[in-house]
Amino acid sequence: VIEPAEGALRRLAERGGAPFAHLLAARERTAQELVDLRARTAAVPLPADAAIVMFGSWGRHEVTRRSDHDWVLLVDDRPAAGDGDDDGASAERREDVARAVEAVGRVLGVDERRPGAQQVFGDAVSGERIVRRIGLDADTNRNLTHRMLLVLESQPVAHDAVHRACWERVLDRYLDDRSLRDHRPPRFFLNDVIRYWRTICVDFAGKLQEGGGDKWALRNAKLRTSRKVLFAGGLLPILLCHNVTRSEVRAFLAEQLAAPPTDRLAAAFLTLGAVDPGVRALTAYDRFVGMLDDDAVRRELDGLDRVNADRSRVYREIRRQAEELQQGLLALLFETPLLPYVRQYGIF
Amino acid sequence: MVPPAVLVADIHSVAQHHPLGASTGASPALRGDWPALVRDALRTSTFAVELAALSEPELPGLIDFLASEPALPFHFVSVHAPSKGRAMPEDELVDRLAALPPSVDAIVVHPDQMLEPARYARLGSRLAIENMDARKAVGTTADDLEPFFDACPEAVFCFDVAHAWSVDPEMDEAERLLDRYAWRLRHVHVSSLDEDGHHRPLDDEQEGLFRPLLMRCRDVPWILEAPLR
Repeated sequence: VIEPAEGALRRLAERGGAPFAHLLAARERTAQELVDLRARTAAVPLPADAAIVMFGSWGRHEVTRRSDHDWVLLVDDRPAAGDGDDDGASAERREDVARAVEAVGRVLGVDERRPGAQQVFGDAVSGERIVRRIGLDADTNRNLTHRMLLVLESQPVAHDAVHRACWERVLDRYLDDRSLRDHRPPRFFLNDVIRYWRTICVDFAGKLQEGGGDKWALRNAKLRTSRKVLFAGGLLPILLCHNVTRSEVRAFLAEQLAAPPTDRLAAAFLTLGAVDPGVRALTAYDRFVGMLDDDAVRRELDGLDRVNADRSRVYREIRRQAEELQQGLLALLFETPLLPYVRQYGIF
Repeated sequence: MVPPAVLVADIHSVAQHHPLGASTGASPALRGDWPALVRDALRTSTFAVELAALSEPELPGLIDFLASEPALPFHFVSVHAPSKGRAMPEDELVDRLAALPPSVDAIVVHPDQMLEPARYARLGSRLAIENMDARKAVGTTADDLEPFFDACPEAVFCFDVAHAWSVDPEMDEAERLLDRYAWRLRHVHVSSLDEDGHHRPLDDEQEGLFRPLLMRCRDVPWILEAPLR
């Protein structure tokens, strides 16, 4: 029996006697701040087919006092019959979208919590593009990132139905695979999730080699923890598809992916009888989330680079939590009944 | 067809565990020669190690060794604080342990050596409190350990499976220890015990007896307090 993802973190806490105090507090903060964001964006004029979507800690339901407003304007720009792409939008249409982006930016992009400067957030995103352009040259790094964040950790704050429609289109695109079979994980989706994780890791090293060491310690800490939770939160439900038939795959993944990633991880630990490793992995992640909410920790990380990080007690503490999170996930993958499926599908 | 769960349980032996590591305390002939002790530990594993200053006079040498920033390949490094030959005032000992470099992931302390447990709280989550064997007056059971964790709320747990066996050969107390402190568990000490309570290589019978407990600890480093046979 596969545990439902919804509420699994609380069930794991009860089974394992772990408090997960920081994660549960962050969920409450997320819920409260989402109410606030919905109120603040309610008056923003949007095209009918555009949604304001939050990514990152908002999608993971792990908002802390310092979480950025990583938003995009997601446009469900389906082409008319016969159109192959979305690039034929009229000038008027482009202006409408640009005005909406500007208006959202005036609400969510003006204080210290404005989106980062990587050009990934704070802009319009074409739903058509992220659905249609999977693989090959047109699937840029930015496109891949938006698609993965949409399907794995996104949260709408305006025009939820538009977000849901795009989310379902991505999921259906992954599952519209002729090779989909009973009791087999969907390969197309699996490969894209794994590709995304490896892309993040390679890009992290690439940025450093190009001299982009800004905020190295914080970005490294997040790569080791929240990025890993994002990846595992996609990988595990996909691997667990070996339990379901072809006709059940979509409903199963829709239920799992609708829950925050930590619920998905908790559900996998419960499903596979690995309560103790699950409690430890998520306790380690809980401590990390708590540290991220500490101004002194943020200041320390801001002052670290790759050379001096290992001498920092704060950075080493985060590395310890990251290692414990990873060891718990590895035990789940390699020392439970999931092992044959990891071996069969996880490498090649 | 054999269910996958049975296959996984059957293939898991202590020797196959990951991450596995050695305690330098298992190499008494090299005592005090920390570079040689590390080289010896590397023969067991490059992933984890416990640097054991079991006797207090060994601690200054270990501190000097770590201060020299040796290039250790291990992903997990613990230091076993002195449990014998204690002469240093407790505050001074805690000062020295707190000053261990950030690369040390855990500092294992025996509760029977903690005269005022609250003094150790500043070791934070690097403090690993170990359950004691039946010869000790305190720290042998889950209930015994409670006041130590109350005094040091961030502390983690070092589960010594052989110590737990000495307290209760049926292993019910071991289950209670894991039930209570599983979420705090950071590493495991693995061995058998001889009649005098000294660590000796894990034998087949006890490996079988310990397996259900060890399977609950499959994600944490297992430190061999005596080499595998």
